[in-house]
Amino acid sequence: MTPVLPSVRRALPHVVTLAVVLTAWSLVSASDVVKPAYLTPSPLEVWEAFVRANTYHPIGGGVDRVVRGEENYFLWEHLVVSLRRIGLGLAIALVVAVPLGLTMGLFRGFGRVVGPYVDFLRSIPPLAYIGFLIAWFGFYDTSKVWLLVLAAFPPITLATLNGVRGVKEDHLNAALSLGATKRQTLTHVLAPATVPDILSGLRVAVGFAWTTVVAAELANGLPGIGGLAYLSGTQNKIALSVACILVIGLTAIALDTVLRILEKQLAPWRGKA
Amino acid sequence: MSDRTVVVAGLEQCFRARGGEVHALGPIDLTIEPGELVTLAGPSGCGKTTLLRLLAGFGLPSGGSITVGGEPVRAPGVERGVVFQQPTLYPWLDVRGNVELGPRLRGSAKVERRRTAERFLELVGLQDVAGLRPYELSGGMQQRAQIARVLANDPDIVLMDEPFGALDALTRERLQNELLTIWRETGKTILFITHSVDEAVFLGSRVLVMSPRPGRIVLDEPARFSTASHEVPPEELRALPEFTELAARVRSAIQHVEPVVAG
Ligand SMILES: Nc1ncnc2c1ncn2[C@@H]1O[C@H](COP(=O)(O)OP(=O)(O)OP(=O)(O)O)[C@@H](O)[C@H]1O
Ligand SMILES: [Mg+2]
Repeated sequence: MTPVLPSVRRALPHVVTLAVVLTAWSLVSASDVVKPAYLTPSPLEVWEAFVRANTYHPIGGGVDRVVRGEENYFLWEHLVVSLRRIGLGLAIALVVAVPLGLTMGLFRGFGRVVGPYVDFLRSIPPLAYIGFLIAWFGFYDTSKVWLLVLAAFPPITLATLNGVRGVKEDHLNAALSLGATKRQTLTHVLAPATVPDILSGLRVAVGFAWTTVVAAELANGLPGIGGLAYLSGTQNKIALSVACILVIGLTAIALDTVLRILEKQLAPWRGKA
Repeated sequence: MSDRTVVVAGLEQCFRARGGEVHALGPIDLTIEPGELVTLAGPSGCGKTTLLRLLAGFGLPSGGSITVGGEPVRAPGVERGVVFQQPTLYPWLDVRGNVELGPRLRGSAKVERRRTAERFLELVGLQDVAGLRPYELSGGMQQRAQIARVLANDPDIVLMDEPFGALDALTRERLQNELLTIWRETGKTILFITHSVDEAVFLGSRVLVMSPRPGRIVLDEPARFSTASHEVPPEELRALPEFTELAARVRSAIQHVEPVVAG
């Protein structure tokens, strides 16, 4: 017998599982368990829809015209638009939430007064704000970005607060004994000590913001991957809709992976000290 | 150098614990002259760390006062360096970064603080792991890094809480000698908490023993082995009748019994 490479052997169960899932999917779509048949596109049809959505392609149906992707944007452009929305929303949320959380942790009285409001905002499902925000900021991107700010800032604030509360007293004492001023304990102890908590707050917020943006794009969400997933479903382009769903899921996983790597880079001591 | 006499008067500390109030310490009256190397021994839980933390300014006492050079101690200060019982190194800095921190906070030039750090890392034998993070070190190595961090900051008064507790016998002996050399060369005031009777007697220019809780000072004796140890080899010192006699008295004071007089 030839020896099997360890990496191959590790990948094998995943390959087998994926093959089983795809086969089962193909069988269901080939059979007529579900009618009408267009409701169950095969993996191949989904792939074709995905490719078509990323290229110039003839509109079909005998009309001699070529269109750009879907709704005049390639699928990846829809994705980028959605990502830009959460990027912007998260950036604003971070700028608000980190100083707020630090202040709440440093000044107990302030934290006690403001804490309940942050808790309250966190308990509101972000989509509840949509109508209100549309009234304030209009139908387009501004209202969506604000929605994401509202979705993302409570978890980041609370994680930052948690980080400040978790700073070891002797870490502060040690710095003071080494001659640190009050201000230096902020920059040299408090700030680095809270980095891991801020990053985990950010991870929660990113997951939350992604669900929110996809849902928010039901209303006027084009371009946008959530908007495209919704529109294609309503137009009975089921294969395209499934392709969008897969892209949305894989993007969520990719975002989380990126943040996990960032966490490892910026706070390698997490859980060790 | 300004007068750094440490004066402790009527010092007491109580803690509010779950089962009511715990009287942890005192009353303690104690004057430490500049340049003394005071070793402090006592049973576990008697209040040694409590005393050290009060001297460091980490909290205010329930009663009594502490002054250093006439100034009341209200907060931590750069003239009082602290080696904690549990190493408190910063995991976001590597070992070198930790050792450099004091000079860096004071704004000393990069080359200069690098040189200082190298010197003290070498002293504690950690020059090869300077680039590692504290959690990548063993407990004893962390303790040595912490000692280097405090010494690199050059405080007039060094408060050390069982600094050599986690070290093997050889490293311990080497660091004891290094500490004595630094002490003799710089004239620092050192308070050194230890569980080891031998260490207390060997290192101290003055040996203190505390009673079980609430900790009071029950033995306060001068010792001279530390001043002589660079002229006489340590083994010979330890064999001196004065050494064994003082060690016996310290041991029985810790056990809270009258010494047995050898007939
Ligand atoms: N923050 C605190 N709250 C309540 N009780 C405390 C606190 N710190 C210390 N104590 C109590 O005070 C007593 C003295 O503690 P301390 O840490 O000073 O002992 P120690 O002499 O350093 O002991 P060891 O040699 O084991 O380190 C103990 O009984 C301890 O339980
Ligand atoms: Mg102790």
